[in-house]
Amino acid sequence: MAVDADVRAPAAPLAGALGTRLRRFGELTREVLRNPTTMIGLALIVGMIGMAIFAPLLIEPNTPNPYQMPRDWGALNEPPGTPGHILGTTQQGGDVLYGVIWGARTSLRLSLIVVSITVVIGLIVGSLAGFLGGKIDEFLMRLVDIFLSIPELIFALAIAAVLGPSFGNIILALAAVFWVKYARIIRGQVIHIKQNEYVDAARVIGDSSLRIYSKDVLPNSITPVVVQATLDMGNVVLIGATLSFIGLAEAGLAEWGVLVSQGQAGISAGRWWASTFPGLMVFVWALAFNLVGDGLRDILDPRTETKR
Amino acid sequence: MTFASAPEPAVDTAGTVASVVGLRVHFESKAGRVHAVDGVDFDIRDGETLGLVGETGCGKTVTARSFLRLVPMPPGVHAGGSIYFRPHVRCSNCSGLGCDVCAGTGRLPVACGECAGGGCPHCDDTGFETIDLSRIPERQLREIRGDRIAMIFQDPAKALNPALTVRSQIAEVFSQHRSDEVLELAGLGTSRNPLLRRHVSQTTRLFERWLLALPPMRSQRRRIEQVIDGMVAAALAETQIPNPAKVMQRYPHELSGGMKQRAMIAQALACNPDLLIADEPTTALDVTVQARIIELIKQLQVRHESAVLYISHDLSLVRRVCDRVAVMYAGRIVEIGPTEEIFANPLHPYTRGLIAAIPSRAHDRGQLVAIKGTVPELIDPPPSCRFVQRCSYAVSICGEIDPELASGPGRHAAACFIHNPPEDAAELPSFSRVTT
Repeated sequence: MAVDADVRAPAAPLAGALGTRLRRFGELTREVLRNPTTMIGLALIVGMIGMAIFAPLLIEPNTPNPYQMPRDWGALNEPPGTPGHILGTTQQGGDVLYGVIWGARTSLRLSLIVVSITVVIGLIVGSLAGFLGGKIDEFLMRLVDIFLSIPELIFALAIAAVLGPSFGNIILALAAVFWVKYARIIRGQVIHIKQNEYVDAARVIGDSSLRIYSKDVLPNSITPVVVQATLDMGNVVLIGATLSFIGLAEAGLAEWGVLVSQGQAGISAGRWWASTFPGLMVFVWALAFNLVGDGLRDILDPRTETKR
Repeated sequence: MTFASAPEPAVDTAGTVASVVGLRVHFESKAGRVHAVDGVDFDIRDGETLGLVGETGCGKTVTARSFLRLVPMPPGVHAGGSIYFRPHVRCSNCSGLGCDVCAGTGRLPVACGECAGGGCPHCDDTGFETIDLSRIPERQLREIRGDRIAMIFQDPAKALNPALTVRSQIAEVFSQHRSDEVLELAGLGTSRNPLLRRHVSQTTRLFERWLLALPPMRSQRRRIEQVIDGMVAAALAETQIPNPAKVMQRYPHELSGGMKQRAMIAQALACNPDLLIADEPTTALDVTVQARIIELIKQLQVRHESAVLYISHDLSLVRRVCDRVAVMYAGRIVEIGPTEEIFANPLHPYTRGLIAAIPSRAHDRGQLVAIKGTVPELIDPPPSCRFVQRCSYAVSICGEIDPELASGPGRHAAACFIHNPPEDAAELPSFSRVTT
């Protein structure tokens, strides 16, 4: 092209680029609004995350460690409706409402940490394997196979048991289990995307491999990861609760699994509330993220387009 | 000399922008070695349109992709031969406008670095810089890709990244190859600011982008963006896209097929390449759009004086578009020459079959002429003429020796014993005698 010096920009360029972004975002939002189940899931997530974030405002934090259940030794096994303990108390005088609210904070912390660690590890491993291929691919994928050959709950259990019961170790155990899924998803996507003609087209205009990866391959491979990460925000809490239920977290932690575990002894005696409310929270949390995850898959995956 | 053949060095190489010499590209497969391209020789002259025709799987796309080393290796193997390319620069006498020195093209070939124009073995005695595309390091090749050699793909819907706007995909070419020019036009040509330079070539890191968004840098960044916008809009306008300023903010999925192909062409011609490789650029488009795109490529080629390697399986299209035609069959060039001559007097039996197969008013309705038989397996082929099993004129020698591409009557060459009989053959093939 003969570039003439008098060729000048037609309009404000940055505003144009921003407009394009907004337009795309608007399209996605409209798709989300159209799907009622996704909306329900989204509302539940917003509610629970709001609860987690504003926990110190909703209920007075325990001192010195707000993640520990407060003890009210004057009110053991109180039923729901007791003044000061709306959802009742546990055997050790812990306020169930406190457990429910601060449990959300614990769960949010757990799922965010685990999902972000695993997505990053999975992205690195999967991208290296898929983009470079050859021997590196072979080595990394065999490694992934080894991890996959052990059932995830048992594997997490083994790690947590070896490292000793603590919440930090539950995070480690879950991260060790969940990254393999992302590695496989990313690898498959990268291999698929890199065969596209626009990757050749980018090579043709002189782009370097790193640039092709970051501009052409990664942005087009990322959507299944977004879906999986959303689903895992729920799954991590589910499995995390399972691990703490069987006693791999510190006793007295404001965590739903721990509360269910401590309350279950009283169920036969009619004290249902100590287990039911935290259990319900685990259920709603997992359900909400699954609803949104499914909704996102429908929107982002072109193959399911015909369903709507 | 009108065609290149390996034995004698071409005389008139000054006017050739690229020459393929004995190119062999094979593929390793479980069944054996597939000789996809097996000894291909041809020249592309400056400013001409060379058509490369042949049926699916004859190696024409692999040949074209070898120019830019796009054939995946492995499974591909570069089994021999070279692709010589002579890059041009803007004519210093007229700064690209066209004058007597550059014969009106606005471009001049680069003098050879070894002998400074005197002629040496390095440049094949032409005195011009000659680059072997199949051997230079990847970094050097990247500078040529998109700048000196560009490519248009078959399906524009697949060749544009769905996640980026048209603007950013065309701007990419400028940031890769024209960053100095962008700075110059933005009035920042003398700026030594490494941050701005990195911004133009789009190699900034995250925190550097924040720095650029702050007031001291912001106005300069704006100017750069505006210059790039202008360049992109001009490139798009050249392909007759209405309202380029608006179109460039769109994503590929918001454009029609014809528009997408125009955007591809704009990207390909953005840096005024010496050679444009068009790999069936209209196959994925419908017929009305097809005609306009071809017209556009022709127009732009005349304006830019680029050479075009036009790959197609549509003979009637090639006849309209190309100056010269090379016919490929089973990994070989079987015939090459000026378009009119090939169509008026095809030398190779395969070319004759192809031309006879073009539907015309002479044929009865509902009847199509075809060449009998199927394409041979390209796995470890025997040393015989590749067309021998389908040829109506084949004799015993055709199954024993492989005919070389050599000049026949007229100004074109064919690889067939009918025109270049070997000296010691007992029986010779002839068009006057059908053997099967």
